[in-house]
Amino acid sequence: MKKILALALCTAMTASLIAGCGNEEKKGEGELPAAKTEATEGKPGWQDDTEPITLDWYVNYSWYTSVWDTAEFSQYIEEQTGVKVNAIIPSGSESEKLNTMIAGNTLPDIITIEAGDPALQEMVQAGLLYPLNDLADKYDPYFYEVTSEQTMNWFAQEDGKTYGYPNASISPDQYDDVHMVIYQSFNVKNDYYEAIGSPDMSTPEGFLNALQAAQDMYGDQVDGFIPIGFHSFSDTGNYSFDSYLLDYLGVPKEIGGKLYDRREDKGYQEWLRTFRKANEMGLIAANVFTDSRQQLEEEIAQNRVFALLYQNCDFMPEQEMLWMEDPSTAYVAIQGPSSGNAPALEGPSISGWTVTCVTKNCKDPERAIEFMSYLLSEEGTRATMFGEVGVSCELDADGTPHYTPEYQDMYINDYDAFFERTGSEPLWMLRDPVLEKNWSAEQPDYLSQMYDWGVPYVVNGSQFSQIDPASGTEEAEIKQDIDLLWGSTLPKLITAASDEEFDRLLSDYFTQRDALGWEKLLAVQQTKYEENCKKLGITE
Amino acid sequence: MKQRNSDLWKRIKQQRFLLMMVLPGMVWLLVFCYFPMYGCQIAFQNYRITDVLGSSEWVGLKWFAKFFKDPLFMQVMKNTLGISLLKLLFGFTAPIIFALLLNEIRNIKFKRVVQTLSYLPHFLSWVILGGIMITWLSDTGVINKALIAMGVLEEGISFLAKPEYFWGISVISEIWKELGWGAIIYLAAISGIDPSLYEAAEIDGANRFQRLWYITLPEISGTIAILFILQVGSIMGSNFDQIFVLHNALNDSASNVVDMFVYKIGIGNGSYSYATAIGLFRSVISLVLLLIANKVTEKLEGSSLF
Amino acid sequence: MKKRLKKVKLFDVINVLLMVAICFLMIYPIWYVVVNSFSEGTEVLKGGIYWWPRNFCLENYSAVFKNKEIYTAFGITVLKTVVGTVTSVLFTAMVAYGLSKSYLVGRKIFMVMGIVTMFFSGGLIPYFLLIKQLGMLDSFWVYIIPALFGFYNAIIFMTFFKNIPVELEESAKIDGANDFVIFLKIILPVSGPVLATIALFNGVGQWNDYFTGVIYITNEQWLIPIQTFLYKVISESSSARIVANMPASVRNSMVTSTTIKYATMVVTTFPIVCVYPFLQKYFVQGIMVGSVKG
Repeated sequence: MKKILALALCTAMTASLIAGCGNEEKKGEGELPAAKTEATEGKPGWQDDTEPITLDWYVNYSWYTSVWDTAEFSQYIEEQTGVKVNAIIPSGSESEKLNTMIAGNTLPDIITIEAGDPALQEMVQAGLLYPLNDLADKYDPYFYEVTSEQTMNWFAQEDGKTYGYPNASISPDQYDDVHMVIYQSFNVKNDYYEAIGSPDMSTPEGFLNALQAAQDMYGDQVDGFIPIGFHSFSDTGNYSFDSYLLDYLGVPKEIGGKLYDRREDKGYQEWLRTFRKANEMGLIAANVFTDSRQQLEEEIAQNRVFALLYQNCDFMPEQEMLWMEDPSTAYVAIQGPSSGNAPALEGPSISGWTVTCVTKNCKDPERAIEFMSYLLSEEGTRATMFGEVGVSCELDADGTPHYTPEYQDMYINDYDAFFERTGSEPLWMLRDPVLEKNWSAEQPDYLSQMYDWGVPYVVNGSQFSQIDPASGTEEAEIKQDIDLLWGSTLPKLITAASDEEFDRLLSDYFTQRDALGWEKLLAVQQTKYEENCKKLGITE
Repeated sequence: MKQRNSDLWKRIKQQRFLLMMVLPGMVWLLVFCYFPMYGCQIAFQNYRITDVLGSSEWVGLKWFAKFFKDPLFMQVMKNTLGISLLKLLFGFTAPIIFALLLNEIRNIKFKRVVQTLSYLPHFLSWVILGGIMITWLSDTGVINKALIAMGVLEEGISFLAKPEYFWGISVISEIWKELGWGAIIYLAAISGIDPSLYEAAEIDGANRFQRLWYITLPEISGTIAILFILQVGSIMGSNFDQIFVLHNALNDSASNVVDMFVYKIGIGNGSYSYATAIGLFRSVISLVLLLIANKVTEKLEGSSLF
Repeated sequence: MKKRLKKVKLFDVINVLLMVAICFLMIYPIWYVVVNSFSEGTEVLKGGIYWWPRNFCLENYSAVFKNKEIYTAFGITVLKTVVGTVTSVLFTAMVAYGLSKSYLVGRKIFMVMGIVTMFFSGGLIPYFLLIKQLGMLDSFWVYIIPALFGFYNAIIFMTFFKNIPVELEESAKIDGANDFVIFLKIILPVSGPVLATIALFNGVGQWNDYFTGVIYITNEQWLIPIQTFLYKVISESSSARIVANMPASVRNSMVTSTTIKYATMVVTTFPIVCVYPFLQKYFVQGIMVGSVKG
């Protein structure tokens, strides 16, 4: 037996010591090929070369669909530019797919990943991406005209070059130009709310009273009545109780140039205590802790949920359903928890949502950067959103496109058909963000009230994004440990039996957090924050 | 020595066909299993995804130490072993009993129908099943309603919100799902038993239970033993799909198994190494357990893997 | 005499009742999924559909089938399941037969080598690099060759082979057959139950595998099997459009991500359920009768 065990371990160890042979050099070699066409001042590069070419574009989201060959909008784009996009989509397990592509050096021409994805850093450091600056300088200076300098700076790496350009990125300067929708709102079911007298829910007492009144009135009538619903609990906390609530209460993120420890905020803690009290009063249903998103959606659809500290866009289909049956049963946004400050709801950030990069495996970097410029220009943005003028859209006096009646009808009444026919918005990865927002169709009634509620309170928090430590560093480990600590503390706080226990749990949390290295983490975040401020030109 | 060597060659020549049948399998193992094993070294390194494998910096036992020192280490081990042992005790025996009982059914058509229906749950993915279970097990769900109606409960219990129920839920739902599927192999074994043995026993006047105890069970005991050993070897693992979908913030203290722990670490970069280290630790323990089980079964039953 | 008859009857009755109860328990959740998959999405959200579809509709299935790619995916799956299962079963059985002979030279070493591989693996990255080096990326063979040998299954084969009476082999050897011929002509024919079992395990494994298609197939998307494809379908039906900050889209109320999941589950399980009865005959009767006496 011992012999067998020894033999087994030896075999395993020996095998693991055999160095992998034949591993190729990962670094793509980077001499950029000579430009094929001369760039002219002010003229978009793509117009010079419309030879057919296929670009392989990897989009790191398994829900992305591509109907390039059959969709009108994409066919129009292909006609105009000669570029056919071959979308490569992972069918699942996105991060594993991406990692194997990186490790195996099988990245395609262009890739789009989440702006904060650590893989971006990895690829940059390993030299797998072309700097967009180099590409623009060499092949298509027009790129600079369709991109914002502030954004390019924001995404610049240590070497001063930018490797990926985002979408949905609005810089602080552009805030005034852009039509906003805000997803964070405190929503209540209209009929239930009016039935209890539309009380004020902005103070802790008012809040609890309202929930209690709803419970008294509907608790028996409605099977499985849920006074208030939240986002689902994760290992690292609960969005509803974290940044959502903090922003809603207007808890500042920095004071006097120094990052503020928001969890220490007294106003915030008072509201956490209020939720604890609510739980003690039996107003927080047990389901709330165990439900996944699917369950909450079912509960909303079943008319079981009164109040929602939950993003309005996340229950769009249920809202629509309720509205279609009877508008008074749908949800409206009202003033929710407040500690005296106005809400400070985050608008779009300069960090955007995804970034798009050109890899060193790209078969034709010149065409790639020209195509990117095209998409970012007004022309390209219009093509991807509205298609061809005269066919699917018309321009009005100031150049704003609108769908023709036929397409508009399809868009509102039969979106699936619209999608199939037009490949609607096939390339959201790169667009002029301001135009995109401004040209977006009007929101339907049942959403506009909620979406617009937060607009007066919008702030730009761009300088606070991307301040987390780089992955692999000690501080990143600290952050992860602290996040997990909060994740296990939060439910206990809410289900604590008394205020004393709540206080004890909370102070334990802070003690343990300090022991884990909070100060170190804060120092790194502060440094990054200050760099961001510089990049955005925000002075104290 | 010469004598021994020539003996060896003689035997090889005698068995050349057998060896030719076995060799392709071994070659396959070398290529597809042993060759990639060099990847295990990242458990002792600080591997980054963009590194050429083998060139990362060595950090020795850092990741192992980190795992053992983690405050959740004991909880994670307790949950993993606890659930696996319960599944071994109940989940291993249930399909055997089911197979034996099913075998006693006279009507062949009925037998077939039952068998076909019994393995259907195996095909339900845990994603779907989990979603259904969460709804049914909530305090206003069907199960509670039924229990209240039967007078067992006064008011509903949110089963998945309480750690003390988690192990039970995990074990019972897995038994339900795998009962029919697990029985397939025992039914196959039973169908291979020589009927003349049964005929002889009947002539001797054995009743059905005696036939079961003295013929059926011993005949399939080899199969049972091997499968038992293999299941012992997987004690350190867990049914991640199931745990993942049923796990939530409230039952975490009972559902945090090794796989869950690794998942929470994430696929972020430092953690390829950390996850691999934990994986190696598990592999070593599993192998040791397997060998112990093998030895024990050999003494008790006579069959073994080697 | 009378007493014994009564006892036997009671046991039978209880057994049958038990089996019926088990049948119900097994089938009910499946029934639930099927019934809900044929119901309108929003009704399913409201819950309470237990016995029969509410607002019967086929939208969930048409959403699944509307993409023509599903038929290619289906074809690929069938092909990989058949080829993969046949090759794997025969290959593994062959190797296992050799290993089942306790007098085999080097047997212990081979066994150790095999067992070790059941526990130690290098992880995804080295494996991916291997597949790449072997040129199997974006190739149909990535479904077949890495699945050829399963040591777990080999162990099961060995257990069954050991139970085969030695006389069968010896009488063949006397007739001058070598081990390989014995394997083909004697062992395989009497191994119906275990071959069917392993074929079922492998077949289901091949059928359900979605991961291979995700990681190893990139450019030749027509090679993805149905599971991978359906995973995509499910992802697409979820709130993708909302996530993408797109203007509110009017969602088809017939279909929700939950009902699509149910429909895809039915679609993937149905073929297996149809095929199994053909394999079943190996499980219900004995094959040994007549082989020794001859």
